[in-house]
Amino acid sequence: MQRRIRLGALAVTASIVVCAALASTVAAKTDGHASKAASSVVIGISLSLSGDFSDEGKAAKRGYQLWQAEVNAHGGLLGRKVQLKIVDDTSSPTQVVTNYENLITRDKVDLVLGPFSTLLTAPAATIAHRYGYAFIEPAGGGPSVFAAKLNNVFFAQPAPAIKNADVLANYILSLPKSERPKTAAYPMLDDPFAAPPIQRLQKRLEQAGIKTVYSATYPSELTDWSPIVAKVVAAKPDLIAAGTQNVDGYAIAKGLIQLHYNPKFLYIENGANDPLDFPTKIGRNETSGIMSSGDWFPAEKSNGNAAFIKAYVKAYGGSGQQIDTTSAEAYSCGQILQAAVAQAHTLDNATLIKTLHAHTYRTVNGTLSWDKYGSPKGETILVQWVGGKLVPVYPSKVALHKPILKPAWK
Amino acid sequence: MRIRAVGLARGGTILALLCALPFAFSAHWVVNMFVFTLMYAALAVAWNLFAGYSGYISLGHVAFFGLGAYAEAITFSHTSIGSGYRPFYVLPLVAIGVGLASLPIGWVALRTRAITFAIVTLTMLFVFQNLATNLRSITHGSSGYALPVPTFSVATYERPFYFAMLGILAVALLVSWHVRTSKLGLMLFAIRGDEEKARGLGVRTTGSKLLVFAVSAGLTAMAGAVWAYYLTYIYPQYAVDPLVMIGSVLPVFLGGRGTLWGPVLGAFILVPAQQYLAYRLGASELYLVAYAAVFVVILLVLPRGILPSLGGLVERWRYRGSALAADDELPLQPRIGERAA
Amino acid sequence: MHTVVQAVILGVLTGGVYALMSSGLTLVFGIMRVINVAQGAMVILAAYLSSLMFSRIGLDPFLSIFLLVPAMFVVGVAAQLLFIRSLRGDHSVEMSLLVTWALALGVEGLLSVGFSTTDRTTLTSYADKSWSLAGYQFSVPRVIGFGVSILILVLLFALLRYTKFGRSIRAVVQNVAAARLLGVDPARVSAIGFGIGVSTAAAAGAVYGVIYPFNPGSHYDLISRLLSIIVLGGLGSVGGAIIAALLLGITESVVSVEVSPTWAALAFFIVLIAVLIVRPQGFFGLRERTL
Repeated sequence: MQRRIRLGALAVTASIVVCAALASTVAAKTDGHASKAASSVVIGISLSLSGDFSDEGKAAKRGYQLWQAEVNAHGGLLGRKVQLKIVDDTSSPTQVVTNYENLITRDKVDLVLGPFSTLLTAPAATIAHRYGYAFIEPAGGGPSVFAAKLNNVFFAQPAPAIKNADVLANYILSLPKSERPKTAAYPMLDDPFAAPPIQRLQKRLEQAGIKTVYSATYPSELTDWSPIVAKVVAAKPDLIAAGTQNVDGYAIAKGLIQLHYNPKFLYIENGANDPLDFPTKIGRNETSGIMSSGDWFPAEKSNGNAAFIKAYVKAYGGSGQQIDTTSAEAYSCGQILQAAVAQAHTLDNATLIKTLHAHTYRTVNGTLSWDKYGSPKGETILVQWVGGKLVPVYPSKVALHKPILKPAWK
Repeated sequence: MRIRAVGLARGGTILALLCALPFAFSAHWVVNMFVFTLMYAALAVAWNLFAGYSGYISLGHVAFFGLGAYAEAITFSHTSIGSGYRPFYVLPLVAIGVGLASLPIGWVALRTRAITFAIVTLTMLFVFQNLATNLRSITHGSSGYALPVPTFSVATYERPFYFAMLGILAVALLVSWHVRTSKLGLMLFAIRGDEEKARGLGVRTTGSKLLVFAVSAGLTAMAGAVWAYYLTYIYPQYAVDPLVMIGSVLPVFLGGRGTLWGPVLGAFILVPAQQYLAYRLGASELYLVAYAAVFVVILLVLPRGILPSLGGLVERWRYRGSALAADDELPLQPRIGERAA
Repeated sequence: MHTVVQAVILGVLTGGVYALMSSGLTLVFGIMRVINVAQGAMVILAAYLSSLMFSRIGLDPFLSIFLLVPAMFVVGVAAQLLFIRSLRGDHSVEMSLLVTWALALGVEGLLSVGFSTTDRTTLTSYADKSWSLAGYQFSVPRVIGFGVSILILVLLFALLRYTKFGRSIRAVVQNVAAARLLGVDPARVSAIGFGIGVSTAAAAGAVYGVIYPFNPGSHYDLISRLLSIIVLGGLGSVGGAIIAALLLGITESVVSVEVSPTWAALAFFIVLIAVLIVRPQGFFGLRERTL
């Protein structure tokens, strides 16, 4: 009998606790809505704060937060403070879907901005599209993002990933025939960002009569690149255009140094465009003449770049050279949104989408405009290591130095 | 085969409640969460069907999930999806196709026993991931595969996926229930107890194991196919993802291995909790560590799972007065005495 | 022909390091019927620690082995006491697989919080040096790594064969009940054995860090290879694991050069499947009853 009473008491206590908890969440929720309507604009963002992409996810978070501080210091959006709701997608597409569903339909955020990586941007953009949200995104430049033909996507880099190496083709074809390379080798990493731009490059150079002497992809699990470098060297190419991510980019440069092979042109798609890591990985005096592609540089005279770098260094220390480009890309997303809201005088997403399509935006990442599916119309910049520094060399309107021929290894 | 009124009522009620759920809570984020919860519930029940009943731990089932996802993607990349429902109609074909494809794999893997089997299947997971990346002409490799975007109306967009996942879960439960009450179940249970002896007694061990392996693989593939259509993009590392494997094993251990409803209960606790935590704890960056900790705690504290532990309590209670009650919620497991025999 | 020989040389050097990692894994299985899925994560953890010591205090990665081995031995013993010992029930063998998998995830999570997820390399002064012999290239860190691995394997063999503790390990491997009758405490042997297994991962991790770039997620790739190696060699057989590791190294390297690097990893799995069809217990494994 006593036992039953105790059980009853327990049940009553439990139900009180549950009711109290529910009531408090409901209260908290109404509070949230009330304060939101009164003051701040809530922007929902899902980022990879854990898992495979967490480095870039955190870099993007820094960029977004710096923009938030900047915009709030200047009165916010339409006079309302900006509040970021950043959630973790654990680098998983399942979670990114859940997060944007939650942000849009549960928390009813006013605006959204994009996550890191094409792999997560593609599913996230579809959800934003379904609910009619404008989707300005920093890092989803792969073909699958634009292939979905969504009118709400705006990729905040000068060119889609597939056109990464176009600038090299433009440069080479701008040379008189006698100065062009006769033969070319294309080692490529099997990765949606690394290989496709180089395949495109190969096609264009072949059409121009430059003979392909080596072209092959290697898998991302590869840990030893020496056999590939040996094969490339055996083909004796004038131009080596390597489709890489970071580590393999360093490894290919090092392999060429070890074998003392000097091509006339050496282009390394990624890795060589890292102002901080590349010289420490292969030695600063060996970098001379190596080319790469890039979308953002600390030295760039783009809109707001100096303020961005100053704020970054103030908040996180270091120097401009240490800033991950992803931070700059995320910051640009904020700049674009800010400008579009100012032009449209509203937070209405449908109006914002129309506005974004109609204008050109000046950001730290260069001047951006898009086709109707969000693919940017600009081109990347050809950069080259000259005298131990990474400088833009082509196209000439942004160049700070003339392209040089690659000198022999030291 | 005995159909007990209690079991039938319980099953019917739960399924009816699940059918009503998207109408009662129609907010997108709720239905979205339950789409994934049902997916993991179906994966867990399918995994339990093979691993829970036969005692063989397969760590490569997610390979079939990926196979189903790619089958769906490849089928519909070049054809129109019409009203949007067509990708659901082919699910049985996906199940049969992957089930048949799993037979030779199962045959090789099942030549090994217990822990070697677990390792071989884990290896299989990486082989499939590797194949999905390397067979570029079929899978588009690391660039991923885009499926056509469904044409469902925005207001009830998630519903078709919800009911597809629910349907797969119901089929998986029905098959599990059927296996438990049939001769096949008895054979599996004998294999789990002592395989050598079972074979000595004339149980067709290889045939029984292979049959449930293939059925389980087919069910897993259907969940993969619906998942692919829901996300509209698949990539090798996500379609064959060790974390999805863990996600379908964990509910089984939490709810109770070898039980009928345990995996469902486990999924309904774990998946919403996991999605909510990732959403809420985002800033702490400790998500993976927290997930690993939950994983360890479940294995160490509740090695038998919730339902068997509860069942044990209830059983002990009933023992005081009446005879042992046979219950669906007790794992298919040799009782004392049988084991010693 | 020259390229094939060069590939075989590379394969043998790589295989030696894998042999070291997998010997610990298979030894632990022999002693306590536990597969440590976290072995790969332990290798990566050790690679990070040795890389950290190199960049902070300039300690050579190969010398850091002297610090890493005892430290990781303690980690191994602690992990066994905390997570493995308390497993109960009929299926504790399979449960151990899942618990150690969780452990691997935890280590991965901590590493990605503590360090970063971009690839890291330990850049020693000799990282890019190589010796030339009869027209073949021998990369310096790989040759040293191979030498260190073989040395540790020899020490491990000596420990197992000539010491009292080694004899008690072998006794437990052969027959737990009989070992207990002879006064060996299987619980103690298990804890220390697990520690030794993790120590081999520690030593191999220091070597791995010099040769390859790594990130917190690298352990998946490693463990899939290590598991294949010990299954091919026969579970519990250290000798079998060494032969299988060399076979893996050579197969991958030759296929990589002669066919394509894309198919290198798969080639070894095909060998594994072929062997399992003919001989489910691997090269030297005992025919398993239900363990």
